[in-house]
Amino acid sequence: MAQVLMKDLNKKYDEVHAVKDVNLHIRDKEFIVLVGPSGCGKSTTLRMVAGLEEITSGEISIGDRIVNDLPPKDRDIAMVFQNYALYPHMTVYDNMAFGLKMRKFPKPEIQKRVQDAAEILGIQELLKRKPRQLSGGQRQRVAVGRAIVRHPQVFLFDEPLSNLDAKLRVQMRVELKRLHDRLETTAIYVTHDQVEAMTLGDRVVVMRDGWIQQVGEPLELYSKPANKFVAGFIGSPAMNFADVTIADANGVVWAETPGLRVRVPPACLERLRPYKGQHITLGIRPEDLHLAGGADPSEYTFDSTVEVVEPLGSEILLDIKTGPNMMVARVDPTVRVKVHESIRLALNPERLHFFDMKTEAAI
Amino acid sequence: MTNQPAGRRQILVAYVLLAPALLLVLGVLAYPLGWEVWISLTNFSSRAEGAPVFVGLANYRRLLDDPDFWRALATTVAYFAVTTMAKLALGVGLALLLARPGRGRALVFLAVFLPWAYPGGVTVVAWYWMLNPPLITSYSVAMGSLKHAVDGLWGAGAYAFASVALFNIWRGGSFTAVFLLAALNAIPTELFEYARLETKNAWQRFREVTLPLLRPYMALAVFLSFTTAFADLANVWMLTGGRVIFPVLGTQAYWLGIRDGQFAEAAVRSLSLVPLLVLALMLLFRWFDPPREKPA
Repeated sequence: MAQVLMKDLNKKYDEVHAVKDVNLHIRDKEFIVLVGPSGCGKSTTLRMVAGLEEITSGEISIGDRIVNDLPPKDRDIAMVFQNYALYPHMTVYDNMAFGLKMRKFPKPEIQKRVQDAAEILGIQELLKRKPRQLSGGQRQRVAVGRAIVRHPQVFLFDEPLSNLDAKLRVQMRVELKRLHDRLETTAIYVTHDQVEAMTLGDRVVVMRDGWIQQVGEPLELYSKPANKFVAGFIGSPAMNFADVTIADANGVVWAETPGLRVRVPPACLERLRPYKGQHITLGIRPEDLHLAGGADPSEYTFDSTVEVVEPLGSEILLDIKTGPNMMVARVDPTVRVKVHESIRLALNPERLHFFDMKTEAAI
Repeated sequence: MTNQPAGRRQILVAYVLLAPALLLVLGVLAYPLGWEVWISLTNFSSRAEGAPVFVGLANYRRLLDDPDFWRALATTVAYFAVTTMAKLALGVGLALLLARPGRGRALVFLAVFLPWAYPGGVTVVAWYWMLNPPLITSYSVAMGSLKHAVDGLWGAGAYAFASVALFNIWRGGSFTAVFLLAALNAIPTELFEYARLETKNAWQRFREVTLPLLRPYMALAVFLSFTTAFADLANVWMLTGGRVIFPVLGTQAYWLGIRDGQFAEAAVRSLSLVPLLVLALMLLFRWFDPPREKPA
């Protein structure tokens, strides 16, 4: 059983409190992704699991053992670094065999494991080469292979795809996912790219300033973000936010701001009751906006001016302005609008989000 | 815009721009070297009468029969070997110490850096006075007995050899330490972090990861050590009180040439080092910079 438990984990560097009270239960065979902006503490957390950073307070256990005081070598983990960390003076084979050699594995066993890993990753031809003769993608495969041969309880990935160009990143993402399905080993993956997090993670942990913001399956984070930060971080283009006031007009509750007046859907009424007359943040994703047609109820539509048209081929992004608010709408590629044109947009009432102005928590 | 072949004027400008550097190289390096090779093939000497006569390789042949030459060569090689190994060991040890963060690190760095940074002409005097005190005190008496003991144990001149070597190691070790510290900083930290994940102790890490990664830089440090071993005259001058009696090839050449006016003989001795140096260079390059294979 290779579950990883983090209990009240904290990391302080002198003045800086980098990781704050992290509590996480990672299940056996789970692929969990820690995601967040630079400096959020995700890498520090990963390095504490690896043993590269001292734990200030709290507990980490891998399998059934508490590993706080165990040296990295004995924690049964294998790590893949962002910069591959391949030894330039050794061949690919020697690089992959390094960990096993240090642990005094018998030669035939080393050979078998390296060959197996090389086959899985398609790098059998490269075994005699040196890292400087490999491309970025190949080096990354070697780094992954080096971790595979160890047959660890947990894989640790520290932004492994960040150094690859965009196309290669997409390709490697898929390969990593396939690899995880095949190897069925617990994996902790750190990235700043929310697309990677969504596509790779069984569950995603969003972090910010050392705190965990939300833990959940990708689609849960997407459709039910716990706060404004998660809502704005997950999904691209980012969710649109507007500062609105909740007003009651003859029994119908509206969310209004200059240029935008939409009805609060009945399903949200109960939750928003305490906020009558107050300011809150309204959120709606670009993909939940579309050009208003005859069938759209008018209380969920609003006028706007087109500022920029971004044709992507598969869709069109419209940067629109409504009152003082700038928003992005994602529309069908067949839509024909021109810059400075006035258009009426409709939103999907089931996809409206509201956030408390002070706490930023979802209402 | 198309790529035009360089016009005649442009080529001329190129040569004019190259001229200063070229003149320097030719004047200060190529010409003297060429002239030295020439006189080594003659009997050029301030004692000889008439113009220098071309004698071919006779000087070289005589050199090979000269026991003094072989003794000097042996001493030179021994001097180089001893000082280089000591400097490497000292340099690696100090660099590793300085590489890890710690309190008081700045002070330690200063202490390590000073021997090399401080003018050699001054520090060598201090060493001379330490090893050959000019004033009669109880300290000088003690040093005198030490000198006797050393010379008695390892033969006459051993103390002088040790003095010169010690100064070279003290100064060169400092330089090597700073040089290798820069090397350690140039190596990406992840390479060491990965080693921490896979090795069981610091010694294994040092042997399997740090040393191999430092190899190219150590090779360069060894090469730089050549220059001090073979070309450091001020050092030898001071430590032997201006008598320059240290039996390495460089000082022999100095005596024969500058002091005695036998330029041909001096040239021959100087040039005898060239094949040795070329061989050493080739070995060093093969070891640390093997021919590159083409990328995939």
